[in-house]
Amino acid sequence: MSLVRALLRHPSGRIGGCIILLFLLAALLGQLGLTPHDPLKQMRLDRLKPPSLTYVMGTDLFGRDVASRVMLAIGQSFIVGFLAVGIAATLGTVLGLTAAWFGRLWDGVVMRSMDVLLAFPAILLALLIIAVAGPGTWTSVTAIAIVYTPIFTRVVRGPALSIKTREFVDAARTFGSSRRYILTRHLMLNLVAPLTVQVTLALAWSLLTEAGLSFLGLGTQPPAASLGLMLADARNLMEMAPWLLIFPGLTIMIGILGFNLTGDALRDILDPKTRRAMA
Amino acid sequence: MNYLTRRLLTFPLVMFGVSVLVFVAIRLVPGDAITAMLGTEAGLLTPEQKAALASYFGLDQSWFTQYARWIAGVLSGDLGLSVTYGKPVLDVILDRFPLTLQLALMAMVIALGTGLPLGVFAATRNGKAADLGVRVLAMIGQSTPSFVVGLLLIYFLSVGFGVLPAMGQFVPLWQDPLTNLGQMILPAITLGFAFTASVTRISRSAMLDVLSDDYVRTARAKGAPARRVIWRHALPNALIPVVTLSGVEFGYLLGGAVLVEQIYALPGLGRLVLEAILQRDYALVQGTVLFIAFNFLLVNLLVDLAYVALDPRIRLGGN
Amino acid sequence: MKLKTAGKIISTIALAAMLGTTAFATAASAATLRMAWSQDATGLDPHKQTAFSSIRLLELIYEPLVRLDDKLEIVPALADSWAFADNGTKLTFKLNPNAKFHNGAKVTPADVKASFERLLDEKTGAAARANFLSIASIDTPDDVTVVFNLSQPDVPLLAAMAGINAAVVPASEIEAGSIGTSAVGSGPFKLDKWEPNAKEILSTNKDWAGGKVAYDGIDISVLPDETAILASLRAKQIDFALINDPLVATLVPNEASLTLNRTPVLAYHVLQLNPSRAPMNELKVRQAISCAVNRQEVLDTALLGEGRITGPLTMPAYQSDPETFFCYQQDVAKAKALMAEAGKADGFSATVIVATGEPATAAAEAQVLQAQLKEIGINLDIKMMELNVYVDTWLKGDFDMAVALNGGRSDPYTMYNRYWTKAGNLQKVANYIDDTLDSLMQQGRVETDLAKRKVIFAEFEKHLTEMAPWIWLYTGYTYTGQQKTVDGFVSSPTGSLFGLTTVTLKP
Repeated sequence: MSLVRALLRHPSGRIGGCIILLFLLAALLGQLGLTPHDPLKQMRLDRLKPPSLTYVMGTDLFGRDVASRVMLAIGQSFIVGFLAVGIAATLGTVLGLTAAWFGRLWDGVVMRSMDVLLAFPAILLALLIIAVAGPGTWTSVTAIAIVYTPIFTRVVRGPALSIKTREFVDAARTFGSSRRYILTRHLMLNLVAPLTVQVTLALAWSLLTEAGLSFLGLGTQPPAASLGLMLADARNLMEMAPWLLIFPGLTIMIGILGFNLTGDALRDILDPKTRRAMA
Repeated sequence: MNYLTRRLLTFPLVMFGVSVLVFVAIRLVPGDAITAMLGTEAGLLTPEQKAALASYFGLDQSWFTQYARWIAGVLSGDLGLSVTYGKPVLDVILDRFPLTLQLALMAMVIALGTGLPLGVFAATRNGKAADLGVRVLAMIGQSTPSFVVGLLLIYFLSVGFGVLPAMGQFVPLWQDPLTNLGQMILPAITLGFAFTASVTRISRSAMLDVLSDDYVRTARAKGAPARRVIWRHALPNALIPVVTLSGVEFGYLLGGAVLVEQIYALPGLGRLVLEAILQRDYALVQGTVLFIAFNFLLVNLLVDLAYVALDPRIRLGGN
Repeated sequence: MKLKTAGKIISTIALAAMLGTTAFATAASAATLRMAWSQDATGLDPHKQTAFSSIRLLELIYEPLVRLDDKLEIVPALADSWAFADNGTKLTFKLNPNAKFHNGAKVTPADVKASFERLLDEKTGAAARANFLSIASIDTPDDVTVVFNLSQPDVPLLAAMAGINAAVVPASEIEAGSIGTSAVGSGPFKLDKWEPNAKEILSTNKDWAGGKVAYDGIDISVLPDETAILASLRAKQIDFALINDPLVATLVPNEASLTLNRTPVLAYHVLQLNPSRAPMNELKVRQAISCAVNRQEVLDTALLGEGRITGPLTMPAYQSDPETFFCYQQDVAKAKALMAEAGKADGFSATVIVATGEPATAAAEAQVLQAQLKEIGINLDIKMMELNVYVDTWLKGDFDMAVALNGGRSDPYTMYNRYWTKAGNLQKVANYIDDTLDSLMQQGRVETDLAKRKVIFAEFEKHLTEMAPWIWLYTGYTYTGQQKTVDGFVSSPTGSLFGLTTVTLKP
């Protein structure tokens, strides 16, 4: 758990970690139904109420509590994000490791296929997948996973290749370390470290993409709560009810900020190369 | 094989892969190929009409033959016919592309124009309050999605200041440059917002790297004025990662235009992709996606070539 | 042979193919009306288009024989005068001798005949075909006279002819199979250029027989976002705009330089059920849905109260008090009881299709309805679709339920025979056959006495709401926003923008 301690010592890590924890808590409460109000309940007498003590973020056109919906939406973003990034990281690790291990033809096939996927701007690849599969939560998960798989594959393949060739195993041995120590230590440093950083950044990106796709009407469908959808709905009400725009907008921003800060901190802590730049 | 040759050789290979992926993806659309081709209009056809169309387009042949026919068409500039527009897909794309290109270029100019000086400035104030301020701003900037920036910008400008972003009635650059720039500036800022932040961060850390390098220290020790050291010695070297980033980001700007064009109601390529998907005009989806991917790859290739020109070490080494 | 058919199909399907190439250099003169709307036309065939956005455009380009004015009175269009004869079985029109198509050719009785024959041809798939089935034959005795011989007295026929779905198109264009790909009408404006989802450029038809238009043309921009339309109006980038979203419309009067026109319309918001699918095939389930819906609440939420609750008949002359209809007051207990009687006490799941932006409030309506139906155990799955995809799904009747905004007419028969008669050409959309409705429709069609017709249609309306194949909700308003420099626009309950012909532009 030295990683957590290191993270807490790092200034951006501290802020980022707090944001993520806060969001996780909000998401958890939202999923457990412990929101201040029922996020789906339409309170007909309390439509378009500005923020107050009862409704801290106001209510929407239907008289639904925005704060509760934001909590529910964070959960939705996390579900999509964790699933998609989990799939991408698993798939990418398997592909990257096997590519490095078997080499030759398999390596060529995998890496060229990944090049093809990387040849699309990410949002475009996601849109293409949605064009085929139709909009919806599961399509968003698939799209984000497919977009991120090549990145994980690349991240894993490089270090895996060097572990295979034992470049630094040999290097370390000259310093007199034990073999087992070397392997675990280097696997940790060279594989798990970049993977952890990448997972954090991928989560930031998936948060953004889920919101973006929903904003375009291609992600989460109503009446489920999604930050992007809330923003899209707020457009025509912007002047009458700015709180509908501002709160979900800030939530997306802060959420992404949390993951980016944490990702940066992790990179500083785990990657010896960047330490110098940070010093 | 040196890097340059290998890079040039993989380009057509990857492009081939991209075309296969796009072709296969469109064939995976639920429903038959006629529906995929004609979108909703297909619902109004009789079975006989569908059969006639299928044989006309060679849909009764193998996928391989179909792909060969399609790719032959693509190579001769025939991307098919858009149902919604009743025009060749390429014509529609070329109609919309200039706007998106202009938007991406403007976003790029804004990003480099603000990001570089900010980054350099922060690097020279390393560790001081100003540096911290720039870094915090850059971090926030990088974390704000374009659609949030766009919506908040529109809201605060229109409600807070009574200044209204000009939307709609788009005027092309060659018709009225001033009006056009007035219409494009907000979308360009929106699109370039996160990119500006990335440029700031990258140029700051690259600058710090370079400033700690020996030759810069030497130059300083020799008593060269600080400003001269920064601009003459350090900056050119710090530019390399910025160029790389710009190349990659340019492609993303092309993609990111989808959201920005949607928010500002601009008739560009991004909105075209979105409309094509929503209206199920699959020939158009296929064509636009292929077109954007091609441009993305091309820009990346050019950036790599520029990279080689900037940094001779790469020519010799591998990846 | 096959190749030829395929080519022909493609050419018919490809919309507006050639229009793009005839683009005029956009001479942006001061006398052009700059206009915006958020929904673009989905096609150019005046006989086939049902989407409001298409009809709004085509009404400016094509002309029917007669049209409805802003008080829903029938007034001359292509025809100068008309008369029923032989106990209402013969309808004679005298055409305006000056009427010309955009291609310069005179509008002849032969064009009228060809147009109606095209409408009646089942293969055309004309939207209003059912309204014209009484036409037995058409005579063209001279070059200004058209005589419709009817198989039975048909009072609503004249009103039916007042819609753009009965436009007169050139016989030569029918021959060439180019209706729908080119737009050669006789109306006040010519379509110079159409870029779908982006813009239309219309130029004033100097030879229009209907009068002189005081400006040179209309540039229409498609701004998919209504807030963008409002912003453009405020920034004086556009002179005139069609606004669909009541939420946006209410903001227009806040601006001193802008005027909002607000007119009650005949079009009605409705939740269409599909009675051919279980469990909506059960009368009690449909009635339960009708009882579970709180119409006022949907109206208040989705439209901010900008509308009026209505039964099926929305034209002022035939309206009844909505309170008298079956379950127009929400009654959840009764709804639950009905569900239990139908054996659906545990509720069920269904999908409701909703078009993006048509009406602008559709998504909101669907969400309120979803919440209300959940109270009686019905789980609605909302499926948002782009308008052209929606229209196609809707025409095929491929839905459990649909949130729709359907057009109204000045006459109950022309408004509804397409859905509720056995020969109705949108029977596939309604999916509901009812002898009572069919016979009441036939009675209303031949009855010439207004008082008696009112009784017949009141009966029709009562039965329809009780059978509840659809849940009628309310009618809204049509909104147009304009600069104060735009003068003389007359809005119509049909939503038509034909009133633009009398507009003058102040500098």
